[in-house]
Amino acid sequence: MIPAKSILPFVLPALAAMITPAAVGQSRSPVTIVDSLGREIVVPGRVERIISLEPEVTRIIVALGEGKRLVGIDFFLRHHDRLFPFVFPPSKRLPVVSNQGQDLNYEEAIPLRPDIIFSSPSEFRMTEAIEKKMRLPVAALASMGKFRDLVTEIETLGRILGREDRAAELTTYFKEHMEAIRRAAAATGVDTGPTVYLSFWGSLLRTPVSYEPVEAAGGKNLASRLLPSYLGTAGATVSIEQVLLWDPEVILVQGNYPPAERQMTVESILRDPRLASVRAVRTGRVHYTFGFWYWWDPALVLVETAYLARLFNPGRFPDFDLVREGDEIFKEFYGTEGLFSALCRVLECHEWNPE
Amino acid sequence: MSGTRNKKTTAAFILAAVLPVVILVLSLNIGAYRIPPKAVFTTIVGAVFPGGAASGPSPYADILFRIRLPRLLLALFAGAALAVSGASLQALFKNPLVFEFSLGISYGAAFGAALSLVFLGRKVPAQAAAFVFAIIAVLAVLVIAGKSASQVVTILLSGVIVSALFQALLSLVEFFANPYALQSLIFWLMGSLSQADWKDLGMTLPIIGVGVTVLILLRWRLNVLSLGEDEARALGVNVKREKIVVIVLAALTTAAATAVTGVISWVGLIVPHLVRMAVGADNRKVIPLSAAYGACLLLVADDIARSAASFEIPIGILTSVVGIPFFIVLLKKSGKIWL
Repeated sequence: MIPAKSILPFVLPALAAMITPAAVGQSRSPVTIVDSLGREIVVPGRVERIISLEPEVTRIIVALGEGKRLVGIDFFLRHHDRLFPFVFPPSKRLPVVSNQGQDLNYEEAIPLRPDIIFSSPSEFRMTEAIEKKMRLPVAALASMGKFRDLVTEIETLGRILGREDRAAELTTYFKEHMEAIRRAAAATGVDTGPTVYLSFWGSLLRTPVSYEPVEAAGGKNLASRLLPSYLGTAGATVSIEQVLLWDPEVILVQGNYPPAERQMTVESILRDPRLASVRAVRTGRVHYTFGFWYWWDPALVLVETAYLARLFNPGRFPDFDLVREGDEIFKEFYGTEGLFSALCRVLECHEWNPE
Repeated sequence: MSGTRNKKTTAAFILAAVLPVVILVLSLNIGAYRIPPKAVFTTIVGAVFPGGAASGPSPYADILFRIRLPRLLLALFAGAALAVSGASLQALFKNPLVFEFSLGISYGAAFGAALSLVFLGRKVPAQAAAFVFAIIAVLAVLVIAGKSASQVVTILLSGVIVSALFQALLSLVEFFANPYALQSLIFWLMGSLSQADWKDLGMTLPIIGVGVTVLILLRWRLNVLSLGEDEARALGVNVKREKIVVIVLAALTTAAATAVTGVISWVGLIVPHLVRMAVGADNRKVIPLSAAYGACLLLVADDIARSAASFEIPIGILTSVVGIPFFIVLLKKSGKIWL
């Protein structure tokens, strides 16, 4: 006869484990998804413990209201992301399971007993290596700078987490908001939008060949002309002559850093004698924008597009207030007041309101 | 045989006098912004003789004098600096594989730039930090070598140690870097002349000018030093002092170039070898010819970097990707290393 007292420590957790999934609505059939690398992945119906090495995925998980399922995050979000600590304060206590370059620290990860790991599609070898070593589903997900793929990513994560309803809310809000900006920005005719050069990644001459917020806001990214010949995915390096030849009407400087950390500033471009003849410099239309931040934060990219639309067509958005608009959008995604204001205090983007 | 070599030497010197100027003038016509050759000519004439009727429209003048000319001059002088520095060190150490990497200069400069780009923001320009740490690297080599600084093996071994140390420190900085600062750093490490301006030239050219000129003037002594230490002493040369002078000058010129161009590899190795293949190992010829052909090589590499595509290819990648196979073919063909 085994005393009841001695088996209780084993029985109670087992009972709890049987009850918990039903209680949170997670007792579901496995879900098959296609990740950003085009791989079919079967995800277990019960995903309670998540490791995310892709900051964009982590942000979306939090926006879906499932931040509590995160058991490990990546190096960037803990040490360099200026926004995430405001969006999800518990992240400060989550273990960091990756090193610089997003490679997984297996000895940190295994004791966390994840049900799934999200990795970056740009690290495809690492994704396969993690799958082999951890013997669990590894999904490589990211928008890679495309709005359409960002929406798909939110929907996919909604399916994985059993939060299709919240995912639908977010994607509907995103698409409607984006469409409203597009319509307002294009009201004067797309062809009249300003030509734009983007100075990203801390360099005057490094520029993204594709940056959808610019086009959505009614501008034309001049570097998109490089696309037929440029084989890279995100950024190209151009010459100063090329910038002069393009003669952009607006120059945007990536401003996702606190002012003291910026290698490239609006002031340095305005003062550069080599750029003195460029229209944007002559007319003072050199501004900060947010830019990629390990791809996007879904709320921030919406704020950025609205901000750019105002920047390109000041007359069409007379009442635009960056901070107010930002706080509203962030509340929709993360449910908390004042998140964008907090970010702005770090980046000093209160100063960015142009004209 | 000797007659053929003399003819080759004469041809090499004539070419060395003409080629850099020709390439410089041709390079002024290359760039993303199309300027007709006639407009290049009239703009330059207009600038040299301001009162004359001939002058190009303002964008041409801006592009030629604010963008192309500083960039081309930087390519010219940096190429000369790297090649002369490599040739002098190879002669001094009687070792064909010595170049700026061997004394820790490149990794010292890279570490300095990394510190600036990653941790110091805009407070300390990357160029200044790169220069300071390149010099620190060479001083560290001399200190580690200590009293044996005249010994070739000791100096080279110290260089390997210092290089390895700065390489490790660079990796450490990369590891802790903000990903965006890391991007700037990687871009810097690939080498580029794209940001060259007159301010860069003002800081760099005096040092390179003095360094290259003095090394060319020392070409006789390099011949004596390359005979061997005992022979050099027998001829009245203070071996230790001369070695330190050459090392410091080579370090200064390379550090000044690397600080503004980033890491551009192989110029200091390939050019002196090509010159020796053509004219032999006499440093009276090798050092000045290396200056001219180093300048030509970097000018041409930069022309390709600027014009091969609508975006820029980092010049450090080009010099390695194009230079190394070319060098291998030449070595295979000739079957020996010149020194």
